[in-house]
Amino acid sequence: MTSKSASAGKEKLIDEEEEVLQAVILADSFNKRFRPLTTRKPRCLLPICNAPLLDWTFESLALAGVQEVFVICRSHAELVKDAIKESKWSKPGSGMKIVPIMTAKETFSPGDALRDVYTRGLVTTDFVLVMGDLVSNIRIDEVVRVHKERRRTNKDAIMTMVVKETGVKHRTRPRGESSVFVLDPETSECLHYEHVQGYPKKKSVNIPREIFEAHPEVDIRYDLLDCSIDICSVEVPSLFQDNFDYLDIRRDFVHGILTSDLLMKNIYCYIAEEGYAARVQDTRSYDAISKDILQRWTFPLVPDDNHPGRHIYEHTRGNRYIAKDNTVVLARTCNIGTNTLIGSSTKVSENATLIASVIGQNCTIGAGTTITNSYIFEDTVIGANCTIEQSIIGSGVQIKDGSHVQKGSLIADGVVIGPNARLEPFERLSTKREETETEDDDDDDSDVEEVESNQDSIDKSSLGPDTNAIVWPRDPPDEEDDEEGPENYKNQRFMRLGDNASDLDVSDEDEDSSSEEESSTEDEDDYHELASLSELSDASIHVPALSGLMADAEFRTEVTQSLERAFTEGHSVDNAAVELKTLRMASNVPLKRVKEAVVSAIVEKIPLIEGDPTAQRKEIYGVISRWGELINKIGGVDPVETVSILQAHCATSPRMPLFGQILAALYQEDIVEEDDIRAWHALPDSKGENRKEGIETDNFQKCWMIGSHMIQQFDAQESDTDSDESSEEEQPRRPAPQGAPQSKESSDDDEDDSSDSTEGVDGGESESPSEGISTSGTSSTRQSTNTSEDEDESEETDE
Amino acid sequence: MVAEARGPPVHRSVEVLASRLRRRQIVGSRATALETLLVLRQVISKARFSNLEQLVTIIRDSGRRLVDAQPKEHSVGNTVRKVLHHIREEVHAATGSTGPAKTTSFSIAKFVLQGQPRRQVAVQKSEVKATLRENDPDDPDSFARSLKPVLMEAIQDVLDELETVYDNISKNAKDHIHSDEIILTLGMSKTVEHFLKAAAHVRNYSVIVAETAPSYDGREMAKSLSSAGISTFLVPDSSIFALMSRVNKVILGAHVILANGGMFAKSGSLMAATAARAHSTPVVVCAGQFKVTPLWNLYHEYGALDFGNPSDVLGFENGDLVDKVDVVNPYYDYVQPELIVAYITNDGDHPPSSIYRLLKETYDDEDNEL
Repeated sequence: MTSKSASAGKEKLIDEEEEVLQAVILADSFNKRFRPLTTRKPRCLLPICNAPLLDWTFESLALAGVQEVFVICRSHAELVKDAIKESKWSKPGSGMKIVPIMTAKETFSPGDALRDVYTRGLVTTDFVLVMGDLVSNIRIDEVVRVHKERRRTNKDAIMTMVVKETGVKHRTRPRGESSVFVLDPETSECLHYEHVQGYPKKKSVNIPREIFEAHPEVDIRYDLLDCSIDICSVEVPSLFQDNFDYLDIRRDFVHGILTSDLLMKNIYCYIAEEGYAARVQDTRSYDAISKDILQRWTFPLVPDDNHPGRHIYEHTRGNRYIAKDNTVVLARTCNIGTNTLIGSSTKVSENATLIASVIGQNCTIGAGTTITNSYIFEDTVIGANCTIEQSIIGSGVQIKDGSHVQKGSLIADGVVIGPNARLEPFERLSTKREETETEDDDDDDSDVEEVESNQDSIDKSSLGPDTNAIVWPRDPPDEEDDEEGPENYKNQRFMRLGDNASDLDVSDEDEDSSSEEESSTEDEDDYHELASLSELSDASIHVPALSGLMADAEFRTEVTQSLERAFTEGHSVDNAAVELKTLRMASNVPLKRVKEAVVSAIVEKIPLIEGDPTAQRKEIYGVISRWGELINKIGGVDPVETVSILQAHCATSPRMPLFGQILAALYQEDIVEEDDIRAWHALPDSKGENRKEGIETDNFQKCWMIGSHMIQQFDAQESDTDSDESSEEEQPRRPAPQGAPQSKESSDDDEDDSSDSTEGVDGGESESPSEGISTSGTSSTRQSTNTSEDEDESEETDE
Repeated sequence: MVAEARGPPVHRSVEVLASRLRRRQIVGSRATALETLLVLRQVISKARFSNLEQLVTIIRDSGRRLVDAQPKEHSVGNTVRKVLHHIREEVHAATGSTGPAKTTSFSIAKFVLQGQPRRQVAVQKSEVKATLRENDPDDPDSFARSLKPVLMEAIQDVLDELETVYDNISKNAKDHIHSDEIILTLGMSKTVEHFLKAAAHVRNYSVIVAETAPSYDGREMAKSLSSAGISTFLVPDSSIFALMSRVNKVILGAHVILANGGMFAKSGSLMAATAARAHSTPVVVCAGQFKVTPLWNLYHEYGALDFGNPSDVLGFENGDLVDKVDVVNPYYDYVQPELIVAYITNDGDHPPSSIYRLLKETYDDEDNEL
């Protein structure tokens, strides 16, 4: 430990010499999970273990050697600003320069805040982006170093997310909001990100197939805790600026960047082996993180060592922390349980019991009171014989004798209840706002007003005679799930302190479903490896169900139109490809659809010329050489699929007879290779198996026959080249069997025709070797079937 | 903060070191002692004072801030005490006042109070005496000006001592380790490492290193020793007792040596020392003299063991187990003086019972509480 940390110190010095490390703190939660505690002050100033969250965040950053911090404040911005000004951080010698930035009230999401960062031009280099409620001891400077090193070789690596392995059921892992990461195990590049909510429950994860094509090995992980520490390059705010609809950093930005074909940016994950980092993102995680701090998981950021509020606590057996300045008065008969923190000047009376709780400074706990798993802020007075469990009590609260506060209650600053109050579970209480306050208030407090106006209907007799509290709505909102995102009522229940949400099918099934989820994704994984070789027509299983038929048809016409425009105006292939990608993004369809549309558009582009095979061939080659490349440019290069699509299209099109020639042209243009044709040929679907009887199937089979013939040619070719030809001469001799221009002919005739055309390509119009083949038509057919069987066998052995 | 409010502004470097100590970005007795010394040198070189009292206050203020920042790194406080002691000595030598009644004869009654019998013969620097005057009304800086070079020299002495501490401890290594002996050690202590390597130059012996969970420093130690050509065995901690019957000597490092002769050392040391007692194997501790602290009652304090991160013991990734188990990961053990035979320091070898004397010689009584 000694030597390691010593070298750490050295590293830090080097870092300092290099350049200033900047950090951006979003000191607003952009949600209301802590209401009503946050009606008077922002979440980042709520104390956790008797120090404001913001101080914990600063300490986490200071630990990493961050030198310049921008704090983006929105709600209660003045309070945040004052808090920063008065804190030790603004003193010289703190080593950190903290600049509070007041952003507009219209900033409703982290995305807006980052757009603001961009317009103000705050950051000049790679920076650390954290939320104002972070508790961490991770060596962020190490992550920054890794990030910068990666940036040196790959300019598209714009972001590194810090994650930590926790296991699925870890208390600190948020149940309401978690995520599935798809990672490349070698480079730890994040290939795909999926947001998972507690409710509605996610049963499956859609992973784009391109990922499996590009990466032979992927990790799909559901056991990672998202620490919300991001190392971002300067491009990140500007990307937010460009994509004005990105709101959330994870759900919109990361997901958007990773699924975008246009941006071509990479995001990486850093799986922290050592250290602790978590966000207080809801009351449940407030509880979990408090416990983590008291149990020293955040060491050296623990109450008796490096307490961000600079309080000094004495650590005694069983993780009991008592303020060290000799101002705490503990009665002889009081009972202090394990994992408890007691702030200075607090008085605990006789027979009081404190278990796993945090008591602020200047509190008074009455005789015979029992407090379990609760968090009590400073200056609060709790009378005699009360019970408080799993609740958060604000500062300056008075709970008079004999009151009972049940689990999950949140009591805001200054509330008075009792005597003999009986609170229901999950009760939320606050005081009325003072008149003066309403002046500068805004839409933000509309819900407070609403709560106030509804007070008459609520029975407050249980709160005791002296109460000044107003009661926040107890029941779920009438309109079920008015919000799509994680803020819906049922999902919020996963975030509530003390709520095990057992009625929402969680506790036991949670494990099942999560493992199920993993296994299903694994299945998908296996399946995909097969999919690229075999069952192509089923590949559309990954299509999100929402893109219905309507959208599909619409998309098809859009593609056709855009391609027509490209054809007539003579765009370059690249431009056309970009246009198609955009189109695909806009209508959210899988890649296969685009490919189908492109192939069909190209095929339909070829004019039919009756009775003149040479002219027809010329046309085909003209079109394919000009536009064939586009098929691969749209992404997801998979020639086998291309051939299948071509076959499927030709089978339903009047251009059916052109199939062979088009295929040959594609081969000539190197868009498909010999092996691809063989692979396609070996697929059961290509033969038209598993299809209904009908003209299409016939056509399918015809196409397949053409393919067999072509493969036969390849084989012939190979033996030829083996015997007497150099590769250079081979080039013009590439076999290009072509379908006949005539439309209605028997397959046998097809064979003949194709042999004819081979002869044409071979150069001489009617030379003897090909003549030999064409005359022995029947035998050649037999031979071809033989070879194709051989092919099949060899394919199988290959697999 | 308090210090800032009431007096001389605290030096910036003190502030920086304090936060580094607090964040544990700098750990280890010698490293912290060195850093403290460098900071104190800066503080003194910039300090304005016109008499000894002021200088002592300035140093104490800085020292207190550093100690408060990390009370578990005792070498910080020790270094401050040592510097104060040296400064007083130099000033007394310079001004000619020989300090409080040092020349009186020894008597057993005054023995404890007097201490410092060996430093008695401090060199008299009579040549400076004439010019040096405290509280000169005409030129308040004259005292500081003429004293500073001497002070810098005094600090340099302490610095030199720190830098050569390993060599000085290892000087007599060959007298402690004999050929074909089996030595048991644990953890990764630079002092012990140097000591063993120095002995290996002249002796041929074996070392058993316990791997010292949960930090597994012992592995590092074993690697280092074996690369120096010492025959090394790495064993799990659980086999310490079983192997003890074959061990000739247990050599341990220390984190801090208390005035009563006990010490705090890497956790596991107590187990090794107790096992050694059961087999009557001598336990020898190698430590720099800067680890000797005038505090003695630390072992009453539960937190003094410095409880570290539980993740070393139980991985954070163990999901819901984290919620159900309380993990305790003390970094140090307190080893009672009865279990230790001798301390080998750069200031000679001492039994635990005479550590108090070493203290008397090294520090001034008035600095025990900074």
